[in-house]
Amino acid sequence: MTASPDIRLAGRRQTVALSVFLLIQSLGTVFFVGDVIGDLRADPFSAHFIFEAVVTAALVLGILFGAFALRRTIELLRAQDQALAVARGALSDVIETQFTAWALTPAERDVGLLALKGLDVAEIAELRGAAQGTVRAQLTRIYSKAGVSGRAQFAAFFVEDLLGAGVPEVNPTG
Amino acid sequence: MAPPRTPTLVASPSLWDPVVRLTHWGIAASIVLNALLDEGGSLFHVWVGWTVMALLLMRLVWGAIGPAEARFSAFPPNPLAALRHLRELATGKVRPHPSHNPAGAMMAYALWATLAVVTVTGLIMTGGATPMQVASDKAAVASGDWSALIKDSEGESDEDRSFGKAAEEVHEVAANLLLVLAALHLAGVFLESRALRRNLVAAMLTGHRDK
Repeated sequence: MTASPDIRLAGRRQTVALSVFLLIQSLGTVFFVGDVIGDLRADPFSAHFIFEAVVTAALVLGILFGAFALRRTIELLRAQDQALAVARGALSDVIETQFTAWALTPAERDVGLLALKGLDVAEIAELRGAAQGTVRAQLTRIYSKAGVSGRAQFAAFFVEDLLGAGVPEVNPTG
Repeated sequence: MAPPRTPTLVASPSLWDPVVRLTHWGIAASIVLNALLDEGGSLFHVWVGWTVMALLLMRLVWGAIGPAEARFSAFPPNPLAALRHLRELATGKVRPHPSHNPAGAMMAYALWATLAVVTVTGLIMTGGATPMQVASDKAAVASGDWSALIKDSEGESDEDRSFGKAAEEVHEVAANLLLVLAALHLAGVFLESRALRRNLVAAMLTGHRDK
């Protein structure tokens, strides 16, 4: 989790830098266009005018393509942000559904979620204001309902689904 | 675990992209410089004018090909919706909008149109000369070569002259209108920020909606 904000920050910095570059480019191009229009009025058939007009047209096209690429980058960054939010929502949906399938009681659901988040027995007990023995008993019931051997397998149950969906070509025997 | 969020209501945390922000503040700074601080007709004034023309053109291009919130299609000019929004603002019950609110959109178009008028009349007044040409003409006149001035007025009929005079009038009136619009824009942003309890100025500075 700690890496993803850095990557997105870098992405944002990149778009800012590209935007600044785009504006400087358009600034230069406007001056060029002004100069070309001045030349056009002076002598539209001189080699100087034709050359400058071609260069300026290339600059304008470059800016349009640059702007288009920048828009794609910005939209990609936003799509990634949204995909992350959706993935978080989807994972919590999967967990909810699975908990219902295992017929966990409301108390067990809470304890199960906290266990998935990586809290240990003492922390869960403190959060829920319950005895550690109670939490341990609830965890044992959750594991038996889920048919897993312990906490590691319990957590892996959900991660495995995500990994399977994320890899296009899974070994059929695996 | 956080309560499940409904994806349709989750707005993107980044609202204004860097191009929108840079052009916005660039244009704002240019207006302050040219309307209030520098001397009209000076070389610096012409430089700032050309810069603001580039910024405006870039923003208009971005309105056609930029990301969703920056595109004109996200805030079509709709005077009726703008009036409705102002009525909402008066009662203090405003709904958040994904891009400009309808009144803000009308203000954006009004500012751009006025700025375009100011820029075009400015170009007419300088004969479309780039700042570099203005600088060389000024340098020529300063060194005693008055032909640059003669070149300007040669072949100029009375009609041309009255056209130039009209451009000058329009330039000044439009520039003052621009200041009035900018003041209204500031008031609108202040009222909207207060009604939404959201800092819209910060959103335009950093690009993020504050939560």
